[in-house]
Amino acid sequence: MKKLQIILLASVIALVSCKKDNYDAPSAGLSGKFIDEATNEQVQMDIIRGTRIEFIEHGYENPQSQFMVLKNDGSYANTLMFANAYTIKISEPNFIPIAPQDIEIKGQTTLDFKVTPYIRVKDASIVKNGNKIVATFKLQQNVINNVQKIGLYAHADSRVGETMRLVASEQNLNAVTDPNHVYTLEIDLPSNSGQLKPGNNYHFRIGALIGIGGSKPNYAPAVKLGV
Amino acid sequence: MKLTHYKYIILAAALSATGCSKVLDLQPTDKLTADAIFGDPAGVKVYMANLYYQLPIEDFAFFRGGFNQNGGDPNNGGFSAAMGTDEAVHTEFGDFIGDGDFHWWDQGYKLIRDVNLLIDYIPSLKIRDDEKAALTGESAFIKAFAYYALAKRYGGVSLMKKSQVYTGDAEALKVPRSTEKETWDYVMEQCDIAINNLGTAKSRRASKWTAYALKARAALHAASIAKFGNRITLDGDAVAQKLVGVDAGAANGYYKAAADAAKAIIDGGGYSLFRPSPATPAEAAENYRTLFQSPNDAASSEAIMIKGFTLPGANQGHNYDIWYQPAQVANGWPHPGRMNPTLDLVDQYESYTTPGQASPVNTRVDGNVTDYNGFNSGTAYRQFDNPNEIFKDKDARLWGTTILPGTVWKNTNIVIQAGYVKPDGNAVIRTKDQITIAGTTYHTYGAADVTMYSGFDTYGGNNTRSGFSFKKFMNQNNPIVPGWNQSTTDWLEFRYAEVLLIYAEAVAESGQGDAALAAKCINDLRKRAGHTTTIALTAENVQRERRVELAFENKRIWDLIRRREFHTEFNNRFLHTLLPLQDLRALPAKKYIFVRVNTPNTNPKTFQTKSYYRYIPGVGSNGLVQNPQY
Repeated sequence: MKKLQIILLASVIALVSCKKDNYDAPSAGLSGKFIDEATNEQVQMDIIRGTRIEFIEHGYENPQSQFMVLKNDGSYANTLMFANAYTIKISEPNFIPIAPQDIEIKGQTTLDFKVTPYIRVKDASIVKNGNKIVATFKLQQNVINNVQKIGLYAHADSRVGETMRLVASEQNLNAVTDPNHVYTLEIDLPSNSGQLKPGNNYHFRIGALIGIGGSKPNYAPAVKLGV
Repeated sequence: MKLTHYKYIILAAALSATGCSKVLDLQPTDKLTADAIFGDPAGVKVYMANLYYQLPIEDFAFFRGGFNQNGGDPNNGGFSAAMGTDEAVHTEFGDFIGDGDFHWWDQGYKLIRDVNLLIDYIPSLKIRDDEKAALTGESAFIKAFAYYALAKRYGGVSLMKKSQVYTGDAEALKVPRSTEKETWDYVMEQCDIAINNLGTAKSRRASKWTAYALKARAALHAASIAKFGNRITLDGDAVAQKLVGVDAGAANGYYKAAADAAKAIIDGGGYSLFRPSPATPAEAAENYRTLFQSPNDAASSEAIMIKGFTLPGANQGHNYDIWYQPAQVANGWPHPGRMNPTLDLVDQYESYTTPGQASPVNTRVDGNVTDYNGFNSGTAYRQFDNPNEIFKDKDARLWGTTILPGTVWKNTNIVIQAGYVKPDGNAVIRTKDQITIAGTTYHTYGAADVTMYSGFDTYGGNNTRSGFSFKKFMNQNNPIVPGWNQSTTDWLEFRYAEVLLIYAEAVAESGQGDAALAAKCINDLRKRAGHTTTIALTAENVQRERRVELAFENKRIWDLIRRREFHTEFNNRFLHTLLPLQDLRALPAKKYIFVRVNTPNTNPKTFQTKSYYRYIPGVGSNGLVQNPQY
């Protein structure tokens, strides 16, 4: 009986001795879009190894950077952040870099970025032509650097891109492009039958990479085709 | 009862009354003071043994989790550094290089503190001057080794040139990072101290020659980072402050340092290649295999520094034999066969018929070696009489490094077969099946039972999925002891072949030095491998030679990093497998065909440029600048 009393006493002490947690759970968040300021379209991105948003929370000594990734369609959302002031930077963009900005995040905050993509992939068309997937497009570049390479990428997942592909048909340009030139890239289906299995649907996407170190490719939206 | 309480009060009073006296200020009896250790040469020797144990030697106990992974729980699946490169795949894991892999930070600074303490004490030791010089040299060697291991992981790091003393102010102990160039220069400086103080006697401890070898290796790394730095772009504070990256202008200086250090060994070290002139390729293959099974046989020729694994048991033996020998010889061990050399590596080996170039395994009549779409009944494949005839003219080192299908290992015919092509032209591949034709039963995996083959069946993750099993370093003399840390093969940390390759690379990349000698360096290695022709000194020839000569010695991962080739070599890359199939269309003749495919059940691998440097741990408290993109 006495033992039981001691156990009870100990548990009561243990329960009241500290609060359930020191901090409230994160309740704020940040979301938004990357919008091409000329066309008002969302800027296409890579979901893996693509452009990232770096955010640094204020009020700490030696704060570590945290990162969020962007969706392929150029939108982003992190709905579990602590309400606080943050510095927002964009790391490895596929658009002309923008200055870091400070923002007060309170509740679910929206922040859109108006940007100029390095390259716009225009008049994009991807069709199946016989045994080939054929992509045609024009490039409009918004900086004077060379376009390093262009590519047509294929994957079973809709988030296809340079970083996520089963098959790629790439061409190194290393030149400044003519906005009126029509580029053509092809994927031969029989010679890639191990990856693009006949009868299945795959997603195809055209990309173009500017020759600026640390930049990421620009894209046209992905297209789904049966092969 | 009440009396008891009084007793306690009196006891407490007595304790507090006597608590201020020094009766409790005893010297701990379970710890030695610095004077007690360093005052006695035998104590120094014990201390030195501990420092050597901590050296970042990438040996049989080195895995992505760090060094000395042979105590505690050594079960890491046998995922070796080679599996983070194009040398091998694991039978089961598809992992690549993660942010948390290959770190050496806390342990690195622990070793540096330990060696700095010794350096502080050397002047006051009561030993002869030549003994002091030897200790000074050895300490500098250890320090150079430690900073080399830190620099190749983290770039520029905090240089603790002296041991620190804590005086109550933690801030005073924080040392900011030096630039990457300053860090490499400090490694060079420490190597020079070692070279100038160490003797030439050969043992398992550092000598003048091991110090030269370390300097050559480190200088080549620094030179490559300088020369090939423009292959990547990193940005951020660490780049702006030059904490990562070395200016291209420094490349030739480091290449010269590497070449000079290598040449000092070539000219004065008295080293030579182990069994340099074999009569046949078969003899060359056996010589090469023996070198790694018994490094001590090369103690008077090729071995510059051997790390011993002397005793079976925790923190002593290692696990290479249990993880990597083929399934058929597992001897009761449940997890063999993990090291699967890739077709990508096998392709690199020269053929004696076409010297001077990589010789991809040609499986088809049309010579196409880039089609990885799998077996096609309409394709004309070359037919062979046995499962290894296709490798007949390949470099002896392929035969000494890998176990090829249908070759003998430990008196056992190692069966590696992926399937068969039925007489009707349909293939059964990587599926357990059998077919009886004219009274004979054929099995897809080449034998009826899982104990009788070593390839492609996913059973237990024990069978190779690349088509090749592993031979280099494996102990052929004894059956596997099915338990942890039972292997005692010694590790060759520095060998003369690497020195020759460093000299050749430094000359080929920088144009400095003796080009004829550099060409001789790679051709001597080729001669030892059974080649009878010589090839020219080109950067490409040196790299191919390096890949095949040093395969699986944990060099490739750093070669890809220092030459900034990792992100281009691994951009959505599949590694490749060679499927040996029995072609039953040829019956009654026994014929084999081979099909080149992407390694089954794997995903493409991509190396991110940020991974050229590891992240700096603990920047929140140590206040150091973080590496880019972490």
